[in-house]
Formats: sequence, C-alpha cells, structure tokens
Amino acid sequence: MTKRVEGKVAIVTGAGRGIGREVALWLARDGAKVVVNDLGGSVDGTGDSATPADLVVDEIKAEGGEAVASYDSVADFDSAANIVQTAIDSFGQVDILCHPAGILRDRMIFNMTEEEWDLVLQVHLYGAFNMVRNVVPHMIKNNYGRIVLFSSGSGLGASGQGNYAAAKEGMVGFTRAVSKELEQYNIMVNAVYPGGSTRMTDTVPQSTTELRQQQREAVGLAAANPSQPPPEYRDPANNAPKVVYLCSEAAEGITGQVFGTSGWALSLYSPRHVIKSIHKDGKWTLDELDKLVPLSLGSGLVNPVPVEPPRS
Amino acid sequence: MGNRLEGKIAVVTGGGRGIGRGVAKLLAEEGASIVVNDKGTEVDGTGASNIPADAVVDEIKSSGGNAIANYADVSTMEGGEGLIQACVDNYGQIDILVNSAGSLKDRMIYQMTESDFDQVVRNNSKSVFTTTKFAGILFRQQRSGRVVNMVADSGLGDVGRSNYAAATEGIIGLTRTTAKDLGKYGVTANAISAMAETRLFPGAVDQHRIPAISGPSRDERAGIGPSPEIPTWSGGGSPDDAENVAPLAVYLCTEAAPNINGYVLGVRGGSLYVYSNPEIENVVNKWGNFTMEEMDVLFPKMMGYGF
Repeated sequence: MTKRVEGKVAIVTGAGRGIGREVALWLARDGAKVVVNDLGGSVDGTGDSATPADLVVDEIKAEGGEAVASYDSVADFDSAANIVQTAIDSFGQVDILCHPAGILRDRMIFNMTEEEWDLVLQVHLYGAFNMVRNVVPHMIKNNYGRIVLFSSGSGLGASGQGNYAAAKEGMVGFTRAVSKELEQYNIMVNAVYPGGSTRMTDTVPQSTTELRQQQREAVGLAAANPSQPPPEYRDPANNAPKVVYLCSEAAEGITGQVFGTSGWALSLYSPRHVIKSIHKDGKWTLDELDKLVPLSLGSGLVNPVPVEPPRS
Repeated sequence: MGNRLEGKIAVVTGGGRGIGRGVAKLLAEEGASIVVNDKGTEVDGTGASNIPADAVVDEIKSSGGNAIANYADVSTMEGGEGLIQACVDNYGQIDILVNSAGSLKDRMIYQMTESDFDQVVRNNSKSVFTTTKFAGILFRQQRSGRVVNMVADSGLGDVGRSNYAAATEGIIGLTRTTAKDLGKYGVTANAISAMAETRLFPGAVDQHRIPAISGPSRDERAGIGPSPEIPTWSGGGSPDDAENVAPLAVYLCTEAAPNINGYVLGVRGGSLYVYSNPEIENVVNKWGNFTMEEMDVLFPKMMGYGF
C-alpha cells in the first residue's frame, strides 16, 4: 500500500478527541509521525488533562505508527511555539499542520460576554495564527509544507455563534492571505468546513441545530445531506481522508481553498463572489437607490430571519 | 438633502475620516443625529486625537445637522459600552450603528508579530463585537435597528495582510450571525466591502488590486472581473472618493430594504455589488466514508483536473 505521508512530520491540534483524533490516526496510518496535541480541556475550554493525547498516542503506537503527545495550548503564542518545538525535538522537522482544536461558547450577540468572545477567538483564530506563525519558518527552510485549518460552516452564519463565526470565517480570510504568501515555498494552505458528531457538537441542543438548519435553508445553504442519514454519516472519521489528501504531496497546487469535509461528501466552496451589480458614471443618490435597488441589487434577496411579531 | 432618517439616532465608528466620515455626513443630511466616534489614531492604531471626530461634528453642525463627538477606543468593551451609553445619554436612543473603525499593519506571515496580529484583529473585528453587543441589547428591546459593517476584499486574500484578512472576513462571519440573532426583532445587519481612496488604502480605486504571487487575482476570484469602462464621471467628485460608499450604506440604514439582512454588498466608485455567500462549486458524494484510494482519484477530478 502506498504511504502518502511517509516520513513526514505532522502536528495535529485538538487531536485527543473527535475530528482531530481521526485526522491524527489516519495521518499515522499513511506513514506520518504525529505530534498529538491536546490540552485535554473541557468543551468550554477550561481545565486540562494529559489523558486524551496520551490515549491517541497509544492507539497510533499500537497500530505500529510513531507519535508523541503534546499538552500545550494553541491559544498562547509561546505555548504554541512549544508544540512546534516538540515536533522538532522529537522528529527533527515539521511538514504538516492540522488545526482542529476548538471550543464553543455559544451566546446570542446581545448576551455575549467579553470572555466568551475572547476565549473562542483565542483558541480558533489566534490559535491558527500562533501555530502557522511558529511552523512556517521550519516549512520555508525545507521548502515544503501542508497546512489545513479547520474552519466551520458556521462562518456562514448560525444563530448564537457570533464569536465562533468571527473566528471561523476569519480563519478563511487568514487562509487565503497566507496561502498566497507561502505558495512560492511549496507550502499549501487550505481551510475545511468539517462536520461530525463530536463531544463539541453534541453540546448543541437539538432545537438549536434545527433552527440553524432552517435558517441555512432559507438562504439556499442547505448541505446535500441524505434525507435519513444513518449514524455513521456523523462519524468524525468522515473528515479524515479528505484532510489527509490535502496533507499529502499530491495536493501540490491546491491552496487557498475551502473544502467541505463533513459526512460522505467532499465539496469545494467558492469564495464569496459578486452575483449582481449596478453601475453609474457618478455618485449615487438615495432617490436613485430607492427606485433601483428593489428592482436590481435587492431583488430576490431573502432575509433569513424576518421580523416576527412580539410574543403576547 | 432628504428626511429619510428624521428623528433617528446613528453611531458611526471611525466617523472622523474616510468612509466613516462620508457615511456620518450623509446620515446627518437625511435628518439623523450622529455620534461621530473616532479615536483619532494613526493607520496602525497607535496614538489618539480628538481632531478628526471634532472636525466632522463641526462639518455636520455647520450644515444644520446634529452631532456629538466621541473618542472611545471601541476595541475595548468599556469603549464600546461607553460609546453606546454616550449616544443614549445625549439622544435618548440608538437606531443605527455603522462600524467603520479599523487599522492596518501589513506584514508577511513569517515576519508578523503576535502584537501585529492581535492589534489588527482587535481594532477591526472586536470593535464590531463591542458596539454591536451593546447596541444589540437596545435594538432587541425596541424591536428595530440597523447595523452596517465596513469590510474589504482583502478578506479574499492579499499578500502581506493575513491579520487584516482574518479580521475583515471575521467581521463578515459576525455580520451574518448578527443578522440571524437579531433579524426576528426587526433588525438588519449587513456588510459593505468598500473600496475607495482612504488613509488606510491610499491610491485610486483601480489600483486596489494587489497582485497575487500566483493564481487568479483577487478580483477574478471575487467574480468582479474587469470593471466596466466608465468614460466620464459626472456630477462632481471622482470615482475614488470615500463619499461614494455613503449612499449604499445609508440606504441600508433606512426602512427601505427589510429583505437585505446578513448580506455582503460592495462599492467601488459608481459600481454597487451584491456578493454571494461561499457556495458549493463542486461536490462528490458516496454512500459511506471515502477511502484514501478514492481520494487519490476523486480529489484532482473535483478540483477540475478531470471531470
């Protein structure tokens, strides 16, 4: 069997559980030496325990792979540097970075605290910067690298996730910019919208999931899901083959993209792009916009959450 | 001069210069009373000065409008809360929030410091959270409100600007969420990807094309394509003026478009745009998880190398 990432060194953040764990296992099966990074925190980001990372390292070793555990937080710059140093100290280099580590602090925008905003951005978005900034010098030196940042379809807007959407869609902007800076060094940087039943997603109430699905459908964003998906459809392992491919040499030339890796589909997302335009050889007036926008730019646009009468 | 916003109260962050200034003035021309917020920093977010906000307040007042200045640093919770509180203290309410404050500090990723990243994300993105949170509390109670957030197509990927790309694309994520959190209360929230000659982005609109090292240009990826040739620019000003962004922004602040909520729109000179969300361009499905061997074949095909 061909080993796609044979001899490569991979760092996987949040690899102790869920999607990160599957990515770490699949990378190891295809020949990578893996730094299994996991703070061992709870879903809301508090606490730490070495156990989850150790268990995944044991699993990889039991399958004949090579792995080392790392318990540092991605949310702090110097601590993230320690994760990269662990890869260098253990395996001498770093070729692959996957950043699925994440937490949730869902709250409606008008109730969200500063701490809820800061914590979510720190782990997801600053975590992406902290990890990328620290691995990139090593990748540039070797003129090789593969980076996969785990964004989320929630960046497209999901009620109660202003912090998460800002972090995750911000990560997409970050991916696009960094990909252009690093392609000349043969470093490919992509983002994925993953999915699956994980400890983190399982904290979201069913009613919330249903509401978000309705809102997505209202603006034509419904995913191509089977109508009655069996439980395996939500297996976090479904993300792994797509991510491992992006981490392989074969992915050369694929950079700055967003892929949907959830479920049994692999999808390529476009960037937001212009769908309608109007032009004038001068500055617009409000009178003109009042007349024209409903017939042109605004025509067919749907409010995903139209106004409701107050509850009596 | 109109009266579309007679009796309305608007807060404009970054209202002291550039796009924010243009929006503040046009809101006032339509009858709104304005809180012009500007910390008066340099482009990189350092320093402070009352001069920019005061100057715009003077301009508005000399044209017969109502305005007060506010110099709060909206990248802090205290600043965001203080700004909304100052608005309510002075005018008794808030109806419109325009977030135009921002800063820029360009660096390649391999040279960027923690502080370069943090400052740009705070000044551009967290500042939208702090004001939206506190305005949102009141919008929800009164069951009306308008939010317009200024963003940029740098979020589609500009070399040397990964911090700003993270911040501005993050604002879009936040805008989409704000639209959903507050839509049922009669609030709309939209983003405008604005291009104009400003202090942050000097140069004519047509020069706002930073070449990619490889691959399609930002404009091509954004689906903009070459701007239509406009042989003349009539009615004064120039296609590069920051004031060109104001009409669309103010339009979104009126009652005219309750259906436009959670969208990204764009302005470049006299060209106005609506953007799609990211959309699935290509998809392969299977009943079951893919194998790596299937990925080897399907991935290149899905990328357009073989279907």
